[in-house]
Amino acid sequence: MALINIAAREIHCKIVYYGPGLSGKTTNLKYIHSQVPKEAKGELLSIATETERTLFFDFLPLDLGRVRGFQTRFHLYTVPGQVLYERTRVAVLNGADGVVFVADSQRNKLEENVRSLQELARNITRQGKRFADFPVVLQYNKRDLPNALPVAVLDRYLRYRAGDGNLVERFEAVATTGKGVFDTLKAISKLVISKL
Amino acid sequence: MESQLSSLIVSLEEKEAIDECLRRLVEDTGATHAMLLDKSGQVIASYGQVERQDTTALGALLAGTFASSREVARLLRERDFRVLFQQGVRENIFTALVEEQWMLAIVFDKGTHIGLVKVLTKKATEELEAILERVRQEGKLRDEVISTSFRTSMEDTIDLLFRD
Repeated sequence: MALINIAAREIHCKIVYYGPGLSGKTTNLKYIHSQVPKEAKGELLSIATETERTLFFDFLPLDLGRVRGFQTRFHLYTVPGQVLYERTRVAVLNGADGVVFVADSQRNKLEENVRSLQELARNITRQGKRFADFPVVLQYNKRDLPNALPVAVLDRYLRYRAGDGNLVERFEAVATTGKGVFDTLKAISKLVISKL
Repeated sequence: MESQLSSLIVSLEEKEAIDECLRRLVEDTGATHAMLLDKSGQVIASYGQVERQDTTALGALLAGTFASSREVARLLRERDFRVLFQQGVRENIFTALVEEQWMLAIVFDKGTHIGLVKVLTKKATEELEAILERVRQEGKLRDEVISTSFRTSMEDTIDLLFRD
């Protein structure tokens, strides 16, 4: 739920990067952190294991400056992708205004993508929100890998939402080089703003 | 179940009431800092003898800790944990839920007794619950802030800032 503080003239929104383990959620945040001008970003905070797998979340506060007199802030989070951490994902998802689902395009990851997306839908529904109305954008990451599935195949399994006639917006990406990262961020930000 | 509101709007009057509540809590307990957080991790208000630079990150982490403890409660078939206490060598943090929406976090050192913090935090959360109730009724203010022209300006800013 976005927070509008009229006295302080501030608007806060929370965006969560969700998806299976090693799909590139943290890489998205690292790339955004490396490119956004210094005055618009805070520290990238990571709670990770010794092997740099996300344990709890990564957190990146972005400050868009004043828009019509309102200081506008987006807080970006990632969840830990490994199956083991489902309850942790529920905790991070708490109060989210929008989700970027980062899918791993590799053929052998299709099942994990599908399961993770189903889990996301379940967790949003448990928060008392209709998943069909909830702001979600898809990112097909790792498009540069030789075993990446064709986009049409990923579309078939990931792009439809039950009870929703509309297709979810999706972007092809190579997060390690930054390709598609900002297109995805722009799309989810605008979607969240449209639902305020 | 959470309500279907897409945003929570804190008006000028309510923000003043929150600030006053935090100020009194800090002064009466002798604590160093108090913060009101939304469950999404955003800092709604903050009051302290010393201005903290790290409140944004602190807010995200404390809300994360609380959300995580809620899941622990669920596994233990406990309804929820209403408070969390983190004890350090120099400083301690006591965090209490304000209904299911907000958290009140109070930072204090060994000069302040935990018992006093517990009692006065309880009183403060009751006040904040009343404020939260009023904030939930403020939905009508939304259209004054989020106009079509606001959304357009916002989209322009997003295009300008979010690029390689």
